[in-house]
Amino acid sequence: MNDQPLGVLIIEDEVLLATELEFLLEEAGCCSVGHAMSSHEAVTLARDLKPDLALIDVHLCDGPTGVDVARRIHDDCGAVALFMTANVKRLPEDFAGACGVIGKPYSSHGVKIALGYLSVCMRQGQAPGPPPIALTLSPQYLALWGLLDMPRAG
Amino acid sequence: MIITDADQPDNPILFANDAFLRLTGYGREEVIGRNCRFLQGGDTDAAEVARIRAAIEAGQDVAAEVLNYRKDGSTFWNALCVSPVRGKDGGVSYFFASQLDVSDKKKAEQTLADSRHDLEQLVAERTVELTQALEQKTALLHEVDHRVKNNLQLISSLLLLQNRRVSDPAVKAALRGMLDRVGAIATVHRRLFQSDDVARFDVSAFVRDLVADVIGASGRDDIAFSLDLERVDVAASKAAPLALVINELLSNTLRHAFPGGRSGRIFVGINRIDDAFRIEITDDGVGVDSSTGLSGFGLTIVQLLCQQLKARFESTDASPGTRVVIDLPVDGAP
Repeated sequence: MNDQPLGVLIIEDEVLLATELEFLLEEAGCCSVGHAMSSHEAVTLARDLKPDLALIDVHLCDGPTGVDVARRIHDDCGAVALFMTANVKRLPEDFAGACGVIGKPYSSHGVKIALGYLSVCMRQGQAPGPPPIALTLSPQYLALWGLLDMPRAG
Repeated sequence: MIITDADQPDNPILFANDAFLRLTGYGREEVIGRNCRFLQGGDTDAAEVARIRAAIEAGQDVAAEVLNYRKDGSTFWNALCVSPVRGKDGGVSYFFASQLDVSDKKKAEQTLADSRHDLEQLVAERTVELTQALEQKTALLHEVDHRVKNNLQLISSLLLLQNRRVSDPAVKAALRGMLDRVGAIATVHRRLFQSDDVARFDVSAFVRDLVADVIGASGRDDIAFSLDLERVDVAASKAAPLALVINELLSNTLRHAFPGGRSGRIFVGINRIDDAFRIEITDDGVGVDSSTGLSGFGLTIVQLLCQQLKARFESTDASPGTRVVIDLPVDGAP
């Protein structure tokens, strides 16, 4: 991966949240490539737009389909999936292939720091240090980015 | 009792006493010369009969309780004891068998077993009901928690979006203030359901989140902060007001203590002292005067919420800087 900004697909059925998140992405040095509100739209857009990262809410306008979306995006589209949900406890243990979760309600600052951290991880294939408070990584990505031996930030 | 002849084919009854005849309802001439299997009927346990027969064939003692039938077809529970009687050659010549009517005991046992079974069924049904009720309650709790979190996110997004639109610095500052307050409440809710105990709230974990967020969001890399946080739990109902107070004090320090790019440090501590706990925020900034102290709406919020929390709030000169202390009674303490 080069130094181009991360292309990010927002999958979120609350339009106001998605709109604000787009601004936030730009401020964090990422590039918003699209916005999907349903699981079908999400998978289609992920295939067509080939984002680097997909931010996925669990509850979409066609129900709690976000987990399935994450699995398909991870398996079929080669994008890194990241959950952004208030239902952190309901996620499957393997995070459906997603790299982790940012719990709602998140703060702007928390999301910016987490995105900056993820950008480094994805570019270098290695974490620069323990993940920031707002971000919980999946077991798979903790191993992938060499974090299993590193202590978790307080 | 009866005695049977082991030397004759099919082990026939040789002798039956009056008690046996009374118990079974047969006449003596009806039983002598017959094998006693005529006492068996449709509901007699075949496995138990087989066990008795095997013991007899092996010439061993056997005791059993079997359902037997009288001449008139009525049933009774027979506690049966059979013993072989050996002749001089050591071979079995006779069998001696005693019978005891244990129908009453059996009936009591059955009644006990029935009522126990009924009771177990009742407990099982009730357990299913309670489990379902608990599942429903848990699902409802998750649903409400989910909605509260999403709505807080929505409120934040609304304030952020409007803040991007307006240009008046005063309006921006007011929106920013509200955003921080909503953010403080959001931080509480993010933490509130992380532990399994939904009634208690760990103040130290929350303060760690809040300090990182408020100072991080301010973009003031030139202000160092240090924490000394002892774990203190409060009732969940006190979490939001406490969060708002801490947010107000911290925001105010960041806003006023280090003007004009002055660098410095902020210390935040939580300690438990007897039946109260103390939250301390100390900075080495420019110190309090009428223009930099907590004022306006922020001060009102702190005063009102401290009143609600029965907390004491004090701001003193720390030379240099300011030291703010909140003493909060631990739950149950006056």
